Amino acid sequence: MRHRWLIAYDVSEAKRLRRMHRLLDGYGDGVQYSVFICDLTDVELQLLREQVLQVMHQAEDRVMFVDLGPMSGRAPHAVSFVGREGISLRDKPGAVII
Amino acid sequence: MSETAESDQLLVPARMVNEYVYCPRLAYLEWVQGEWSDNLDTIEGRWVHRRVDVPTPRQVPDGSDTPEPAHELTARSVLLSSEVDGLIARVDLLEMSGRLATPVEYKKGAPPDNAARAYDPERVQLAVQAMILRANGYHVERGVLYFAEVKERVDVPIDDALVSLATDAIRGVQAMASSGRCPAPLVDSPKCTRCSLNGICLLDETNLLAGRGDATTVRRLVAPRPVARPLYVQEQGSVVKKVGDTLVVTAPDADPVKVLSKDISAVVLHGNIQVTTQAIRALMEDETPVMFHSFGGWFVGQAGAGIGHRNVSVRMAQHRALGTPLQGRIAAALVAGKVQNQRTLLRRNLPVADHAVTGRLAQLARQSRTVADRDTLLGMEGYAARTYFAAFPALFRERGAWAGAQFRANGRNRRPPLDPVNAVLSFLYSHLVRECTSAALQAGFDPYVGILHEPHHGRASLALDLMEEFRPLVADSVCITLFNQGELEPSAFHARARGVMLTPKGRRVVLAGFERRLEQFIMHPVFGYQVSYRRLFDLQARMLRAVLLAETAAYRPFTTR
Repeated sequence: MRHRWLIAYDVSEAKRLRRMHRLLDGYGDGVQYSVFICDLTDVELQLLREQVLQVMHQAEDRVMFVDLGPMSGRAPHAVSFVGREGISLRDKPGAVII
Repeated sequence: MSETAESDQLLVPARMVNEYVYCPRLAYLEWVQGEWSDNLDTIEGRWVHRRVDVPTPRQVPDGSDTPEPAHELTARSVLLSSEVDGLIARVDLLEMSGRLATPVEYKKGAPPDNAARAYDPERVQLAVQAMILRANGYHVERGVLYFAEVKERVDVPIDDALVSLATDAIRGVQAMASSGRCPAPLVDSPKCTRCSLNGICLLDETNLLAGRGDATTVRRLVAPRPVARPLYVQEQGSVVKKVGDTLVVTAPDADPVKVLSKDISAVVLHGNIQVTTQAIRALMEDETPVMFHSFGGWFVGQAGAGIGHRNVSVRMAQHRALGTPLQGRIAAALVAGKVQNQRTLLRRNLPVADHAVTGRLAQLARQSRTVADRDTLLGMEGYAARTYFAAFPALFRERGAWAGAQFRANGRNRRPPLDPVNAVLSFLYSHLVRECTSAALQAGFDPYVGILHEPHHGRASLALDLMEEFRPLVADSVCITLFNQGELEPSAFHARARGVMLTPKGRRVVLAGFERRLEQFIMHPVFGYQVSYRRLFDLQARMLRAVLLAETAAYRPFTTR
């Protein structure tokens, strides 16, 4: 039902950059500078796109959406890291118990 | 122009006439019962409307004025009503040329491939807007549908035929609203697959149980399981904070954990957990309830999720049912369902088949189905419970044998539970109550007005009703599995005076087991599709609601073979 999305942005002004980061932080995990991985349903994707359009300057900024496929398929294994200890992406949905 | 209608008269919104023509039941659910649910279509629709939903800050001449003939003007989001016709509408875009007014209605997508290049519901909606405009002195010849995706305008002439179609529909809406009865679902309609309310309407399920149409197969239109899941916090001294647009949970001596609001359906707290005001407020805005359990596990209550369900008719039906034969029939079905499932659990899991016990439970399940007398019913329930729990210890084997032996000595007990099995059962039951309370609230019930369980002070009696058939299937089976697979060992418990309690680690194990169970798919025996247990709670609550609202004749408890 959910797809994994790689979302990257170029935002050319500091205030919008902060707002974009905060917006995407509510939808997924920042994995590099200006790069997020978000697991989204079609509804969540639409809501995110709408909010991205409201935050960005459409002539000066650019946001890239890459569909890595459904979470039931290969998407959970589509992204890997080497080097400095990075972030571990959730691959199994489930309740968080703390 | 009457910008607002200050009157007690109930005005029919043009949009509801549209929905009525599309599906009378949809109009009733939304307008009379106040139900709403979003899907991709409704969200995209709102996005398309974002500009025309903001009123133009500009003077709009009244229809009775006589402006200059050539004066052209457009206005967005104009609210108009006609008290005489009992109608109200918000016109997305009003184009005026002198006294000639043309309402423009925004739609997402593209025009349909038919002769009118428009569907009847939208044409009727424009006709209603035209009628209101005419009642306000404007001259209207046509309306326009603007299809945002292809940026195309489709002309809709407002002729006598369309006006009479609209008049009939308006009468239909008024009759429906005053009847107080929810229209039946459409039968086998392709419209339903994309309807955002199909999970509330449960069209095929209702039709099947009401014997309407020749529905033998039920389309699974509800998502098999919810995407969002609860966040449990049971580590004492943890703090839940709002950071940006996320929640961050910090347990003592642990790294903070970030949780996305979109991923959580509820925040479940055990004992002494701090939640900041900002976090509670954000959760309320998302309509995510915060649910409180005592340190020992007792479900205390919940906060948030607004000021209650808007569908009053369900609560009224609940009260009306009290003391009627319907209450007795539902209570009997609930008991029969539980006993049936207790039998199934024993039959599947007993190391040596015990036909005396399973046979007796089968008989009790059969008999209880038709019992009208409440005391007799409760007697049968009690007898079945004693029979069941007497056989229960035998289900604990191998790595769980130690726990079964302690349970055998004590029997089922609580407050406080005297052995590990009882501790785990009580803990699981209280989480089951919480899930069922949540399902009851979502379906619009008053969880305190029970059907089988009599209303008692502070007891969510209806949630206890809903949970009966799930006790063996969800709680008891999880308990058995956790002990038998060695996930729960004596170290997961500690003694408190006479009672036995789960340690924090033990609680975590039980919650994980409970969650695994709720995620499991199971074939619905009546509807024939697979859903998760968590979705089943909602489904059964809504089917109970259909019985109380007289949409279907009898409550069918969920049972497995």
